[in-house]
Amino acid sequence: MLMEVEISRRKFLQGTVAMSVVGATALSTTNLLSNDHGGHGKSVKAGAVSFHNTKTGQGEGHDVATLCEMCVNKCAALARVENGVVTKLNPNPMFPKSKNMLCARGNAGIQALYDPDRLKYPMIRIGEKGEGKFKRVTWDEAYAAILDGTDKFPGLSKILEEEEDNRSSMLFCAGEGMAEHTFKQFYQAFGSANWLNHASICLQTVASGYGVTLGSYPQADLDNAEYIIMAGANRAEAIVTPDTMDAFKRTKGRGAKMICIDPRFTNTAAKADKWLAIKPGTDLALVLALTYVTLTEELEDKVYIEKFFNGYNEYRESVISNKYTPEWAEPITGISAKDIYEMARDFAAHAPKSVYYPGRRSTFAKNDFQLRRAMAIFQAMHGAIDCKGGLIFGGKLALKPHEGLAPLYEMAQARAVVKRTDKEGHQGYDDCAVVSGGGSWIGWRNRFLEDKMPYKVRGMFCYKHNPMMNMPNTQKTAEMLRKMDLVVTIDTMPSDTVMYADVVLPECTYLERTDPVKTFGGVEPSIAVRNKVIDPMFESKPVMDILKGLTTKISKPLFEISKEYDEEIQDLIEEDGEEETYAEFDLTLPFLHSQEELNHHAVSGYEGAAEKLHHDGVFYPKQDEYFKQISANEHQYYPENKKSYSVRGGKPVTPSGKVECVIASFAKKGIDPMPMWRDEYEFSVPEGKFKLLTGRHAQFTQSGSANNAMLNDLMPENFVWINKRVAAEKGIKFADMIEVSSSIGSTKLKAYPTEKIAPDQVFFIHGFGEESEALTWAYKNGGNDNAIIEDTIEPVYGAAAMHETNVSIKKV
Amino acid sequence: MARYGMALDYKNCINCKACETACKEENGILMGADKHRIWVGTGEIEGQYPLLDISSNAFYPSQCQQCDEAPCEAVCPTQATYYDENGVVRVNPDQCILCSYCMNACPYDARYVEERGMTIDKCNFCSDTRLARGETTTACQNTCPTKVRIFGDLDDPNSEISEVLRTREHYSLKAHLGTKPKLFYLT
Repeated sequence: MLMEVEISRRKFLQGTVAMSVVGATALSTTNLLSNDHGGHGKSVKAGAVSFHNTKTGQGEGHDVATLCEMCVNKCAALARVENGVVTKLNPNPMFPKSKNMLCARGNAGIQALYDPDRLKYPMIRIGEKGEGKFKRVTWDEAYAAILDGTDKFPGLSKILEEEEDNRSSMLFCAGEGMAEHTFKQFYQAFGSANWLNHASICLQTVASGYGVTLGSYPQADLDNAEYIIMAGANRAEAIVTPDTMDAFKRTKGRGAKMICIDPRFTNTAAKADKWLAIKPGTDLALVLALTYVTLTEELEDKVYIEKFFNGYNEYRESVISNKYTPEWAEPITGISAKDIYEMARDFAAHAPKSVYYPGRRSTFAKNDFQLRRAMAIFQAMHGAIDCKGGLIFGGKLALKPHEGLAPLYEMAQARAVVKRTDKEGHQGYDDCAVVSGGGSWIGWRNRFLEDKMPYKVRGMFCYKHNPMMNMPNTQKTAEMLRKMDLVVTIDTMPSDTVMYADVVLPECTYLERTDPVKTFGGVEPSIAVRNKVIDPMFESKPVMDILKGLTTKISKPLFEISKEYDEEIQDLIEEDGEEETYAEFDLTLPFLHSQEELNHHAVSGYEGAAEKLHHDGVFYPKQDEYFKQISANEHQYYPENKKSYSVRGGKPVTPSGKVECVIASFAKKGIDPMPMWRDEYEFSVPEGKFKLLTGRHAQFTQSGSANNAMLNDLMPENFVWINKRVAAEKGIKFADMIEVSSSIGSTKLKAYPTEKIAPDQVFFIHGFGEESEALTWAYKNGGNDNAIIEDTIEPVYGAAAMHETNVSIKKV
Repeated sequence: MARYGMALDYKNCINCKACETACKEENGILMGADKHRIWVGTGEIEGQYPLLDISSNAFYPSQCQQCDEAPCEAVCPTQATYYDENGVVRVNPDQCILCSYCMNACPYDARYVEERGMTIDKCNFCSDTRLARGETTTACQNTCPTKVRIFGDLDDPNSEISEVLRTREHYSLKAHLGTKPKLFYLT
């Protein structure tokens, strides 16, 4: 029987929330490339700048192999260049990780390159902090302002002089990206102990949960899994990732059964075989109940457990004696006991080709770390670790390291954290029990605001990072930035954070620079590189060159300050002379070589790799022999018998080589040594309020892609999802303006009444509603979730728990 | 000379809009939600939370059906809409007078007003961009994360699309209208 479906453009227009049309008209190329962006960040008026989209030519062009930076995935792309202009980004089929795909954002990368709002030249602040008034300066003037300050702000010299060479008085923070490594070298060479990155507002708890339990944050072999529990992971929408695309070709009776578990009905739910609505933050109860069924019905892989488990009996005893039954879990999670029994049995029946997808998202609930531990243990109980169709560790190709510079300054204080002493009344680092490399962003920020630092932190370097948009409680972040004496931002766009800068250094986009070569582990390991496609536009530079210029300016003068205060340096000078001593503190050292030279060195262990990477963007041994085109869409990267499905015979990567069910040392820190349910984890919303959910979207990454003209065309603003029946009760119709308020603030955006969300929850997509007037498309284009998400700290790693906020809604 | 067609493994579609974006970038399509050569149709979800009907929210990637008996070509008073040598329904902007007969005639709602070129535009299988350069895929096929589309020559028995249409069940949209689309939805 042939099925008939109605597919109409009008239907599309009615059915989507992307209804409004961006009033974009043609902008000439000369205007786009000109420098008349005004002398400050506020010169761009909405509507004055618009956007031009040309078709690709029929004639000559050449392709440059690069890696996308529109999100974190680094898919391989081929940039088509015609007469020096990038006219199209296509998928590079050579890369096993991204397998010949480029999503909407990847395609729209051209608009990041040719965004008329881009930062074009260095600027220094001339207005009030946060006002966004800057003047254009030369690179040397910008570097000089960082060193010596202006009448508006102090420079590094003054700060370090006053803080007696405490290098930790400067904070360094960076967003995720291939060049984060380069910026981190600057932080290490500078000698500060204060480093913050995206980890604590991203996947810190999931990576750590799997890390301490299995010794690794594994990948999922969704190419071969037969049963997939996709819980709290919206893989069809949230940052469309190459590693999960395969699964969507196999659902709906085509080889893999996928159960989607999510409080919202998402595109992933639509593509799954079954969708189970769960109450937010209760996944741990579900996993414990699945574990209970597995144990009581003896569905586990006893051989694997015998060989590779530590603390199994203790955990087993806990789950059974606590009676984590499906009947117990039903009222907590909202998922029926029958469905839980079925899932546990199906999972076991398909094991080891079963995957409880680990997830790649931010921390939503305070129990997230324990949830991830429970998931890892549940997966491992079925022996579905390091094997085809299960979770895999994969292979990895080694790169040669290069030398960095990490001098110790005597006067540099430790990280601005007072160590927890567990003494009553003592001011300790009680944001979280474990302090890891990334630190806790909101914990750090809040202590800074509350003057609980052990010493003064007076300024910050911020690279490709937008704290104003990226972490809960925007108002507090603004206060932090205002309180900093010196804020230096390195970015491509005039973001909300850049508006608070004292010195703005314009980086070029990813299509204008070569980044550190990277190795990608997995079933089909490879090395890939981001090659520069075109020369940097305007006066922008790669961060490598920016840091080379900056360190050349500041290295010697700052050393002079160290000489005053650092007795060890004084002694060294006495012993070895000044020149030899300075060589160990010379900030310019990490930036002496070009990125191309460093990459060449990194892959010098593989014959022909550098040339291959330059030409194809991708390298792995025997690539020429293995790589084959199978069809227009499909390629072979490795023959089946050469794939790294199993690299350790199932053995976990933990120091003990075992799955760690019980981690006794946690108990001393007040953390449950094994996953347990606590009553306070139960989902509840006060009468008349709604739990605020946030999330990501297939056409936007975070605030970083918010000003992309092409992506805005697909979705010009975010809408707040409100249950249809609730909306009807409140007289709320589609596109009515709604004020969403929490205890810390409010934001306004339009309503999307839908049955895809529960009556006691509301949802909207993260990354919208920026306040920077220099962003033509992103300026106030909807609501900013972080203006209302309360700064709830997850207790183990200090991650921001983003689904713990109750809000009220009002039609305005 | 070829007879180009496209098979759509539409169950793979996750409505990520990579195809729409690739099409816009490749073919220089104007901004605006009503200016798409290709789009993904979605059904409004049926049921009440949490009892929702998964199948009601399926995604249908769509574009010009490249009919062998194209109503838009038949009604065009100026022959602006024509078949090229590869059987692709094309539009000559110089001859288009924006009478919009084609828009009304098309049962698939595939045509829209292109204000920059002042023409009633539609998908042309990237004929004047990628195919003109000798490439063998359309922008939408090439970029698709879940590989929904297979494009090729229906007259070549050895082409991938011919092979797929021989071996897999498929249907055409509104087949009863006799438009003979060259887009095939794989079941």
